[in-house]
Amino acid sequence: MADRGARARGLQVELAQAGPIPLDARFECVAGELLALVGPSGSGKSTILRAIAGLYRPGKARVTVNGEHWSDSATRVHWPPYRRRVGLVFQSYALFPHLTALENLTVAMGERPASDRVDRASRLLSMMQLEGLAQRRPGELSGGQQQRVAVARALARDPDVLLLDEPFSAVDRATRHSLHAEIISLCRSLDLPVVLVTHDMAEAALLADRMVVLDRGRTLQQGTPEEVTTRPETEEVARLVDVTNVFSGAVSAPTLEDGLPTLDWAGLRLELARRPEATEGSPLRWAIPDGFILLHRVDRPSRGQRENPVACTIVAMAATGQTCQVRLDPIHAPGQWIKLSLPLHVVRRNGLVPGLGITVSLLAEGIHILRGDGWPAPRGP
Amino acid sequence: MNRRVFLLSGVAGLASRAAVAQAHRPVRVACAADLKFAMDEVAEAFRRETGQAVEPVYGSSGNFRRQIAQGAPFEMFFSADESFVFALADERLTIDRGALYAIGRVVIAIPTGSPLKADPSLFDLGAALRDGRLGRFAIANPEHAPYGRAAEQALRHQGLWEAIRTRLVLGENVAQAAQFAMGGGAQGGIIAQSLALAPQLARLGSHALIPAEWHEPLRQRMALLRSATPTAHAFYDYVQSTPARALFHRYGFVLPGE
Amino acid sequence: MDWQAFTISFQLGLATVAVLLPLGVLVGRWLAYSEFRGKAFVETLFALPLVLPPTVLGYYLLVAFGKASPLGQVWASLTGNSLVFSFEGLLLASIIVNLPFAIQPMQRAFEAIPQDVRDAASVSGLTALAALRRIEIPLAWPGILTGLTLTFAHTLGEFGVVLMVGGSIPGETRTAAIAIYDRVQAFDERGAGLMAAVLLVISLLALGFTAMLSRKAGGRRG
Repeated sequence: MADRGARARGLQVELAQAGPIPLDARFECVAGELLALVGPSGSGKSTILRAIAGLYRPGKARVTVNGEHWSDSATRVHWPPYRRRVGLVFQSYALFPHLTALENLTVAMGERPASDRVDRASRLLSMMQLEGLAQRRPGELSGGQQQRVAVARALARDPDVLLLDEPFSAVDRATRHSLHAEIISLCRSLDLPVVLVTHDMAEAALLADRMVVLDRGRTLQQGTPEEVTTRPETEEVARLVDVTNVFSGAVSAPTLEDGLPTLDWAGLRLELARRPEATEGSPLRWAIPDGFILLHRVDRPSRGQRENPVACTIVAMAATGQTCQVRLDPIHAPGQWIKLSLPLHVVRRNGLVPGLGITVSLLAEGIHILRGDGWPAPRGP
Repeated sequence: MNRRVFLLSGVAGLASRAAVAQAHRPVRVACAADLKFAMDEVAEAFRRETGQAVEPVYGSSGNFRRQIAQGAPFEMFFSADESFVFALADERLTIDRGALYAIGRVVIAIPTGSPLKADPSLFDLGAALRDGRLGRFAIANPEHAPYGRAAEQALRHQGLWEAIRTRLVLGENVAQAAQFAMGGGAQGGIIAQSLALAPQLARLGSHALIPAEWHEPLRQRMALLRSATPTAHAFYDYVQSTPARALFHRYGFVLPGE
Repeated sequence: MDWQAFTISFQLGLATVAVLLPLGVLVGRWLAYSEFRGKAFVETLFALPLVLPPTVLGYYLLVAFGKASPLGQVWASLTGNSLVFSFEGLLLASIIVNLPFAIQPMQRAFEAIPQDVRDAASVSGLTALAALRRIEIPLAWPGILTGLTLTFAHTLGEFGVVLMVGGSIPGETRTAAIAIYDRVQAFDERGAGLMAAVLLVISLLALGFTAMLSRKAGGRRG
């Protein structure tokens, strides 16, 4: 569906090797798109970035940028990093400590004539709100300023692709929020594929146009943040995207009204919003993201279809700041706890305490059956 | 910038060294250490008389014999022991079998303030060994220094060798032994008479001649080496001339023919 | 006071430094950034002169380029002189003996450059040579200079190896350290004392200089 022209521009990555760092990754990123590589520590995200930049050479690799093969193990092509027009922002910034901010930029502009460099570097620094800091050394800059210089240096290279390695990991919360906005607007204005690596699922969901979920070097699922977090394909992905409410069940016969099969959860029949692919009766695992679990007001019973009320007892509550992590024990399925995060004011308003019985609704649109063994593989990236 | 200066001076240094070496190669003469003060005077006299200069280098004869065999850049060798010269001659490193230039003598030398006495019979030395007056006694290393060998022979002759062995401090050559003996490190020593007679040492203490029969004669032989230049040849002749012989005589050497 | 001996010492020091500057930088950088089987062995080999007694070193050097050795014979046929007991032989010995003094500080200096910074140089379009010139050496120069200073100071003080390989030939191989020894034997206390004092001052200056350099290197990391 994306036209051939747009796909030929942009980044295409295919990496594979058994060890020492296992890799089995495949994804694309078009110009103007911000793609997040998400996964726990050690999932190979940074290695993938390094492979794109040419700093790492996996056993099998195919990295294509705007139609040019930067790496192609089949034809033994591996452009050294200095030949690739790549902008890489390191997690540690990796600024040249002995050069000023301006020089950090001009040193990356080797191909430009000397007269151009200072001009362009100054403009880049202004663009990153670093005017007046041109003559400072990295040691004289704050963490946030250093990061901006690192980004400016990556852009100084006139890159065809921009790579960001955990750019916010070293930054405090407050700065993080403003940096998010800056990054988003920056990526809009550049017409480049941008790949951002992070272990923070929420951050990825916030910033990215599309996400790639990784574990141990394998791409597990790709899609928009919404797709990936509401419809994780496997239990593994569900775990990685923080969908913690995963249960066992089986497809059972529909109730009469619209003919859609229901989901049998420990004896309770849940209504679904889509026809499931699983066959009736076979055991399966299903998940429901937090956003589709609604707390009933104590005084108002549930109404309406596809709301799947579940009666529970509150087992535990733990307040973290302005939210509260609540654990509910369904009466029909003791031990299969539902985990929920509620704002503190809701908790107070409803007078929630451990031991109290309440009802939650599991909205049918959120119920998602996970792929297990023997299921057909998902179609396309 | 600093790096460049460093580099340049290093290269310049090497180049200048090579240039100097080419232009003016001194006539180096390997001399047994006992000749330390005597040979300085002879060389100076030679320079005054002929305008040519030789440069004496002092050390132990045994060491020089080894170094010359290894190709050390000397033009003449003044050994304190004939056998070293003959060995080099056998190895065809000298132009001939050389000539005897002096016969050396050993003395017992005692620095001022030492509990020992300069007793040529070495009886006092024996007594000092027994009554604990002796701390350390210096001789040259008998393994490769002829004067050290002579000292050992003299001590053996008087039956003192076994007793004194553990108290010996060995100089690498007889000049170092003299330094140990008279410079305050030891209570005394057996060293070359030519050194003891030199003003620099004579004022540091007293000495007495040990009978020549108590050791093998110190027949000091000299020879020109293969690389000898005309200056070296001239010096070879000069050493056997009257003024040179007189100088040697002043330092207590017995001259060939006496 | 033997000025000629000081001249020889300085010439020997400067020449050794001139050779070990490029050699030390290349080997130090190679050891800092390469991983290969046997690397520990190679590092030990280069470090050997640090712990070997100088006379052991001297002995093996004599065997290696004495009159009977292949190297000595080649030299003799080329120049007509022996390699031992010559300034050139001394220079060769000095280079070997000073390898660890030059290589180790330089290697540490290169190792101290974070891998990230080197990667950043590469990714910013700098070839290996350009990165060496514009990033690595500017960051490593205190360590490089330390290596050279230590080499120079150590050469001035080297005694055992110089004596065995060079003898004590005035104007050729009699360095200041040897000359002091010689002055003492010649009962020239004054000359010996003066020369010893000069060497002491030079050593103190060298140490002070390297201390200043390591402070400079430390400050840069901030």
